[in-house]
Amino acid sequence: MQEQNAIPLYSLTGTVILTALLLPLLSFIVSSIIRERYAWAVGLLASFTMMVATIFSAVALAKTWNNGGRIISVDWFTISNSVLGADLVINNTSMLMFFTVMLVSFLVHLYSIGYMAADMAARRYFAMLGFFTFSMQGIVLADSLLVLFGFWELVGFSSYILIGHHMIKPAAAHASKKAFIMNRVGDVGFIVGLMIVWTNAQSFDVALINQVGNGDWRTAASLCIFCGVIGKSAQFPLFSWLPDAMEGPTPVSALIHAATMVAAGVYLLVRVFPLFTPASLQVVGVIGVITALIAALSAITQHDIKKILAYSTISQLGLMMTAIAAGAPEAAFLHLFTHAFFKACLFLSAGSVIFAMHQAQQQSHLHFDVQDIRNLGGLSHKLPITMVAFCVSAASLAGVPFFAGFLSKEVILTDVWKRSNGFSQFLFFAILLISFLTVLYTFRLIWRTFFAAPGVAGLSVRESPLVMRIPITILAFASLWTIVSLNPFDFDVWVIQRDARIPLIVTVSSIVVLLAAILVAWLFRNSQRRTNSTLLENVFNIDRGYRFVYNRSLIPAAAMAGYIDKKIIDRFLHLNAFGHVTLAHVIQWIDANVIDGAVSLTTGIVRSGGFFVRKIQGGKVQVYVFWAIFAIIIFLIWALN
Amino acid sequence: MEVQLLYLGALLFCVGLAIIIIKRSAIMMLIGIELLLNAANLNLVALNKLHPQAIDGQMFALFVIIVAVSETAVGLAIVMFVYRHHQTSVPDQLNELKD
Repeated sequence: MQEQNAIPLYSLTGTVILTALLLPLLSFIVSSIIRERYAWAVGLLASFTMMVATIFSAVALAKTWNNGGRIISVDWFTISNSVLGADLVINNTSMLMFFTVMLVSFLVHLYSIGYMAADMAARRYFAMLGFFTFSMQGIVLADSLLVLFGFWELVGFSSYILIGHHMIKPAAAHASKKAFIMNRVGDVGFIVGLMIVWTNAQSFDVALINQVGNGDWRTAASLCIFCGVIGKSAQFPLFSWLPDAMEGPTPVSALIHAATMVAAGVYLLVRVFPLFTPASLQVVGVIGVITALIAALSAITQHDIKKILAYSTISQLGLMMTAIAAGAPEAAFLHLFTHAFFKACLFLSAGSVIFAMHQAQQQSHLHFDVQDIRNLGGLSHKLPITMVAFCVSAASLAGVPFFAGFLSKEVILTDVWKRSNGFSQFLFFAILLISFLTVLYTFRLIWRTFFAAPGVAGLSVRESPLVMRIPITILAFASLWTIVSLNPFDFDVWVIQRDARIPLIVTVSSIVVLLAAILVAWLFRNSQRRTNSTLLENVFNIDRGYRFVYNRSLIPAAAMAGYIDKKIIDRFLHLNAFGHVTLAHVIQWIDANVIDGAVSLTTGIVRSGGFFVRKIQGGKVQVYVFWAIFAIIIFLIWALN
Repeated sequence: MEVQLLYLGALLFCVGLAIIIIKRSAIMMLIGIELLLNAANLNLVALNKLHPQAIDGQMFALFVIIVAVSETAVGLAIVMFVYRHHQTSVPDQLNELKD
């Protein structure tokens, strides 16, 4: 397409990128086919592969940084005149995402060695982790929407396997099914969007689509693609699979939330942002605000440590959607980038807490839910490293200055502030409100887990093994402000290029909101009252609504379809079959009596004729003479008449 | 008068034909053939009486007698050779060509 910008596939950069892309696939293959005898090595092998892939992706990032949008051109197949490409897009956004996903995935692999040490199905686990990463990297690099959609589905599939890793537990099986089905619902919209795009632009290449004309189809196509994003990125009203997906192992949750699955939707929106018209952006904004508010309110009332984090992810994703809707995809991407690190760190730390509590629970022979924050508490001395990492990443999530989340949130607020029309003012205050709620639930989570009085006394909790502490530490450092900018209050951001400064009012207002939220949270830190809202705990009964729709419409519809099938279609089939059998019998009778009879008759005639003629031709002279005379007499009778 | 002769010729022809068809011996068949020839001669002579000036019919009858003699001589010779070769003169048993 853009010949002057193309990188040859077999150049050094192309090879590095391609190798980094294929290494997770290699990890998947190796982990799948390795013998059971060597199953203990599978985690080490997979982690090593991912480490190499991370180094390769870092090299590729360094080589292509600020090099302009470029493409590795690969033709996939041709239909008449249209060449469908499987191009790899190489620009700052995609390569940064590529590196981030690879790094988080590597750290999750490393962490899983410790966390999944006792798991019997470690081979399947590591194989699917590799496949998950590969699928996500496909989404990151694919330039064609069609290829991207293929990887999009692969991500859905591998997440299905990973969420249902403990498949013996019914809850896990249900959660994986739910995630898969809800994603399918969104994907219907994505497919329709692809059709609209192809019909109007005759291409799936993102770069081309973004340039082609304008018209109403752009609104329709962008909304349909956004529908797929709603499913994948867990937006309202298709978000309830994500909290349920907490049934999967904690490192998987970290991967899903930080870099691979839910990030894919936001990343896709950033990529196809020029396709969006103001009308569709308003829809995105409304959905984003609703999602963020609902999820943040629900997070305040949840008790499961992982579910709080899950709702916080949904809320942050809603925030990114809001930023995109305000016309700031770069800000959304920056927040996605910082969010990847601090959310992975939060999840891995939470996993560390769960791991340690689980060990302690097994020693003490007590039975309680180790994920319920009411049973935690007082862990700050027993799990010092986990506590520090958790607090750092939680501060980043809450938007405390000197942490990465603060800066990326500032960028979003600045971009929204600068738009200064009615809609973006609404978005600005919505974002401030979401930040307020974020601080509330984050504070509650930290307080309950580490500082409040212990829920279950007398446990001997010990810090997690080194292999789990290393990834947490790395990610905690990545949650500091230095990953975005050297100045903790302003962005000479190196991820996105801009010359403007953050207005003072934005910084002041966000810090005021932060302080107010901390004050409120501190005052109510031991109150049970605000955590007892059933409506909020059940997330505004959205799941119940789904169940209602399901019971009232889908099951009767299925029953009716079954009835019609049994009573009408089956009867028709039976009638049809009966007719066929009868007809076959008739045909068989005709065959035996008429056709076979005709054949027998013919052979009979021929045979008797043969007998007759043979008698004439008997070899007896006198018989010849007799017949000759007989013939002459006949001839004479005929001639003389 | 001529009509009776023609009747006699026809009778002779029929008898000769019957002998040829019915009798098993080749010699009897030769005799039958002689009867046929003689029936023909009788017809020739009888019909010649219708044209008193002409003698064609009688001459033709003489020729037929001569031809009949030669034919009988040749036929008898053949029968004799067949009998020597096959030890029989019955045509029904001479069926080498059949199989």
